[in-house]
Order: sequence, then structure tokens, then C-alpha cells
Amino acid sequence: MTEATTASAPLGTAPLLEAPILEAVDVTKSFTQDGTPTQALKGVSLSVAPGEFVSIVGRSGSGKSTLLSVLSTLLRPDSGQLSYNGLDLTRATEAEINALRHGDFAVIFQFHYLLPYLTALENTLLPFMRGLRPVSGAQRKRALECLERVGLADKGHRLPGQLSGGEQQRVAIARALVKDARILFADEPTGSLDSATGATVMELLGQIHKDGLSVVMVTHNEQYASLSDRVVRMADGLVAG
Amino acid sequence: MNILTIALRNARKKWVRTLLLLLVFTLGVVSIVSLNFVSRVVGEGLEKKLVSFGANILVSPKSEKLTVSYGGFALGDMLFDVAYLDERDTLGRIDTIALRKNISVIAPKLVVMDRVQGKAVAIVGVRFGQEKLLKGYWTVEQGAIPGEAPVPRAAAVPAAPMPADAGSHPVSVRPALPLSSAKASAPAAHPGNGVLVGSAAASKLGLKPGDAVPLGTSQMIVTGILAPTGSEDDNVLLADLGFVQQAVGRPGKANFVEVAALCSACPIEDIVHQIGAALPGVEIKTLRNIVEQRMYSVLFVKKLILSVSLVILLTGCSMVGISMLSAVNERKKEIGILRSLGFSRRAVFSIFFAEAASIGLLAGLAGYLAGYLVSFRILAVLELGDGAHLAFEPLHLAATALILALLTSLASLVPAWKAAAIEPSEALVTL
Ligand SMILES: Nc1ncnc2c1ncn2[C@@H]1O[C@H](COP(=O)(O)OP(=O)(O)O)[C@@H](O)[C@H]1O
Ligand SMILES: [Mg+2]
Repeated sequence: MTEATTASAPLGTAPLLEAPILEAVDVTKSFTQDGTPTQALKGVSLSVAPGEFVSIVGRSGSGKSTLLSVLSTLLRPDSGQLSYNGLDLTRATEAEINALRHGDFAVIFQFHYLLPYLTALENTLLPFMRGLRPVSGAQRKRALECLERVGLADKGHRLPGQLSGGEQQRVAIARALVKDARILFADEPTGSLDSATGATVMELLGQIHKDGLSVVMVTHNEQYASLSDRVVRMADGLVAG
Repeated sequence: MNILTIALRNARKKWVRTLLLLLVFTLGVVSIVSLNFVSRVVGEGLEKKLVSFGANILVSPKSEKLTVSYGGFALGDMLFDVAYLDERDTLGRIDTIALRKNISVIAPKLVVMDRVQGKAVAIVGVRFGQEKLLKGYWTVEQGAIPGEAPVPRAAAVPAAPMPADAGSHPVSVRPALPLSSAKASAPAAHPGNGVLVGSAAASKLGLKPGDAVPLGTSQMIVTGILAPTGSEDDNVLLADLGFVQQAVGRPGKANFVEVAALCSACPIEDIVHQIGAALPGVEIKTLRNIVEQRMYSVLFVKKLILSVSLVILLTGCSMVGISMLSAVNERKKEIGILRSLGFSRRAVFSIFFAEAASIGLLAGLAGYLAGYLVSFRILAVLELGDGAHLAFEPLHLAATALILALLTSLASLVPAWKAAAIEPSEALVTL
């Protein structure tokens, strides 16, 4: 296994015994900006077991966000392999990718992106608003449950502008929960929050993880990283160990 | 709630922008719709006025013409026995055609060649009532049209048309007409033996109002001189058809009949065909030139309105296009979120597309209704009569709304396509 050297987290329960749900092998990605190419990922391998909580840490610019984007299918790698549950994501069709983004994968970001003109409840329901079919009563009920789960049961009617940063991030988490995702990708989810608010968000992520979700989280906060099953350190586009 | 909710909520949130776009488009549609309504009314009126620039159909008896040339020497055209139309019969038959309502003037004519003071001149018998409708450009320089009061300044002095030398004329029937008609300004008295002289003929023959002109066994009295018209009327003497018929011993006859038909609504060929059917054995010619000139004015107005409409629509569409393009840039992150939630490119595309299409649809509906109402107002202000015949057509309303929706959709193609092309990672990941 490629991650054999990675530090095991204190809470770890021998995740490597299970077959990985998500596996990246020797992934590279480069960007060209103003004519100069940057090699953001120089051959990164990483696997995530079902129900595992992996933290990715490293300096700014080391390629953490790029790796998370590649893992969550938001970015296509230049080379290397990427598979989810046996599906080769480098060869998947656009429809397969969309289905994955709609179902098993959920992403939250540092700037808890919500649609500013939809209420918290509507933002939570967003995954069900893909087509012309109206949102069902059952879906609405589920969204309300998810809002309750993140502690926003009474704020579903509010617009994002009427919510605090931490509340907005929790709505984003509720949106990830509503679709019953299997892996949650989080790119510095507490990065723009004060420590108290950040702690509640981390607590929430911990609970979700306990419920069986795999979590892949990029963070700057070593303390939060230490809560995970495993910490992956990145430096200069490579996994440092 | 479904995908359209996203477009709707955004439009509601950015209501100023939405309202502004709607307003611009609605105003555009109002102008186009009212221009069309008004132009339809004005076009009809215009064509009626244009009739006074001449006839466009000529009805004449078939006559055999032989062009004689012998040994390379042209002897000119020989006309075998000049044929005549029976005035009452011909007019009666033209009256019966199905498209009669499209005919505004029927002007029969009898042309007689005679010598006046030793000079050859054509005397044309006309029905002045019809002729005046046909020749709106006529102005009488001195005196008046036979059977009418002289122009106001002359009317002030009833005896004015009779200069001192009038007494030198042998026949003194002359005072009868001008005097009697001088008082009753309106529906002309019978023109009797009055004659209207073309400007060139007047100077060639030295005629002035009150002069007597012999015709066959009768005498005509000059009642007025026409101002130069630049037409054949300048060279002829125009007298009442009935009088000419009697004087030359051809009662009830005419050489030809000029017809002015309104042909913006129906092709002139149809009218010609119907007259032909009503008058077998008679030759009917279209004066193409005049038809085309007349239609040109009407078509010109239509073309003008079409181009103005196009400019308005293009402006509106560019506004929608530009505004959506900037909206796409502003909403990059939103698009990224939608894509990260599994919305397909097509779904993102349709959000923008739907927004543009509904703006077009609404503007089309509102604009048509407002334009319809505005047209009445414009027609009232322009005193173009009651717009009573402005029919409200639901089909046009639907068509306008659909066309507008189509146009705004087209304008949104590029922005919507750009939106669909946005990759979630570039929109969402903060460096
Ligand atoms: N869209 C992009 N265009 C150009 N360069 C990029 C882009 N995204 C990331 N990079 C570059 O790739 C490298 C890694 O970036 P990133 O993965 O965001 O690092 P981190 O998240 O660890 O701070 C950086 O040098 C960054 O400048
Ligand atoms: Mg980053």
C-alpha cells in the first residue's frame, strides 16, 4: 500500500485493512499561468478507506487544494490513476462524473458557498433542483432534518446574508448530508471562521464521520488534523509523509 | 421548486436589473407594435391620398392598329375606325366587380381634335368631379374649374372672371355659370360649356378666363387656366364630358376610362382581371409605373418601420447579451457550486437560457398589449381618425411573445454557453 508510511491517527482503527473506496495513484497536475507552467501535483498517491477521516496538511501552495479537487472530480488530473469503488474516474463519462457529484461525493469549501438568493432550506435542497421535476415533500422533510442536524432547524427560511459565517458553513454541510454522500471533501472548512465557530464545525464533521462518512479534509490547523484517522503531509506537490 | 426556481429567485433578487431589461424590451416592443399598427392605418390613408397622383388602370376599346412602312419609309401608325366605349355601360359594369371597394376613381374621357384660332389642339371631355380626385395636384391659376366657384380671392368679386373685354365675345351665355356658382361654393353647379385650359395651351392660344372657344357647332367659355402640371394636361383644353359628347355628336361615348385602384391590399392584377371579365372585348392596361411608384411610397414606410424595428430589437438583444455576459462572470461561483452538486452543463445552460427567454416572453406580452393601446392614442393625437379598425389579434400577441422569447434566447446563447463551460474547480478553489 502506498500510504503505509503515513502517520496513523490516534483514533485510527486499522483502516488500511479494508479495500480503499477512493484511490489515487501517481497523479500529476500542472497549471499554466501567464505562460509559465506550475507543477501543482508531481505524482501523488493517496487512498481513502470507507469511513476513514483523512487530513491533508502542508504549506500554502503545496498542492492541497489541487489534490482535493482532483480527488473530488472537480479537476481532471494530467496523468495518473484515480478510481472510486472500481470506477476509473480518469475515463468516466461526463454523465458518470455528474452522477457521482450529485450522489456519493460532497464538497465544502473555505468560503461556504451558498446561492445568495436562496434560503438556507432552499440551498440545502439544491441537489434536488437539478431538473424540471419539483422537489418532493419527502425531500423537503429530509432537508429539514439535515438542517436540524447541523443545528439550524429554526433558520431554514433565512437567506445566507442573514446567517453568520459558521451558520453558512453548517448549511453547506447540511447540503452535503441531504444527498446521503459517502465521501465528504472539505477544503479548509474552518479557514475563514473564528476558533470557537471553527470548533463547532469540526465537532459536526466528527459526528458525521462517526455516522460512517469518509472525510477528506484540507486544513492548516494541526489540532483539527490530529482529530482525524490519518494525516497526509504535502510539500511542493508531493506527499511528504 | 425545481431548476427554474434558481433562475426565478435570481431574477427576483436582482430585480432592478431584471426590471430594467424588461422595461427596455417592453418599450422596444411597444414602439414596434404601435409603429406597425399606426403604419397600417397611415399606409391605407397614404395610398388613398396617392390616388390623386393619377390612375393606374386604363380601360379602352380594342382598336386595330397597323404600322405602315413601305420601302423603308415609315408612314406612321394607321388607326382603323376609332372605337368608342359606351360611358354608362362601361361605368356600370366596372361598378359590379367584386373588388369595387378597391377602386377609388373612375374617370371616363372623350378626346376631340379641333382647331382653335387656326392651331390644332386637343379638347378632352372629362367628368370634373372624378378628374379632380385623380389629379390632386391641379391648381387653378386663374378663374376656376368649370362648375365651381373661383378660388376665394376671386369669389370676393363675383364679376372678376369677366374682364372688360368679355363683352367683345359674340356669345353671352357666359355669365350664367360663373355667377350662379360663385354664390354656392360647394357641390358644383353643372359645368355646362365651361372649359379649363392647360397652361401651355393657354399661352399658345392666348386664352384667358371669359374667352369663348368654338367646339363643333357650340361655343365653350374659358372658366379657368391650370397652373403648369408638367403633364399632358398642360397642352389640352378640358371640358365637361357631357358637353363635349353633345357638341361633337357622340352622345354617351368615351374614348377611354382611367381607373384608380387601391392596390396595397390586393394585387392590381386581380382588379384588372375582374374588370376584363366584366368588359369583354375591351382592352385593359395597367400603368405599371404609377402602380409601382404608388406602392413604393407605401412600401417605403413599411421598410422604414422594419428597419427601425430591427434596430430596436438588435439594441435590446445586445443589452440582454451583455448584461447576461457580465452576470455569468459575477455568478461564476454559483455555477461552480451547481456543477459541484452534479448539475450538468446543459442544466447550467438552461438556467441562463430560461431567464433570458422569460424576459423576452414577458416583454413580448406586455409590449404588445401596451403597444396596442398606445396606437389608439397616437392615431388620436395625429388625428388619423378613430382607430376603430385596429383589430386586436390574439394570434399576433402570441407570435410577438414567442418571437421575442426566441430573440432573447438567441442573445443569451453565448453567455449561457460560457456559463456551461465554467469548470467548478476554477470557480471555487481559493488559492
Ligand atoms: N487555477 C490555477 N491556475 C494556476 N495556478 C494554479 C491554479 N491552481 C493552483 N495553482 C498553483 O498550483 C500550486 C498549488 O496550489 P494549491 O493546490 O491551491 O495549493 P494549496 O491549496 O496547498 O495552497 C500553487 O503554486 C498555485 O499557484
Ligand atoms: Mg488551498
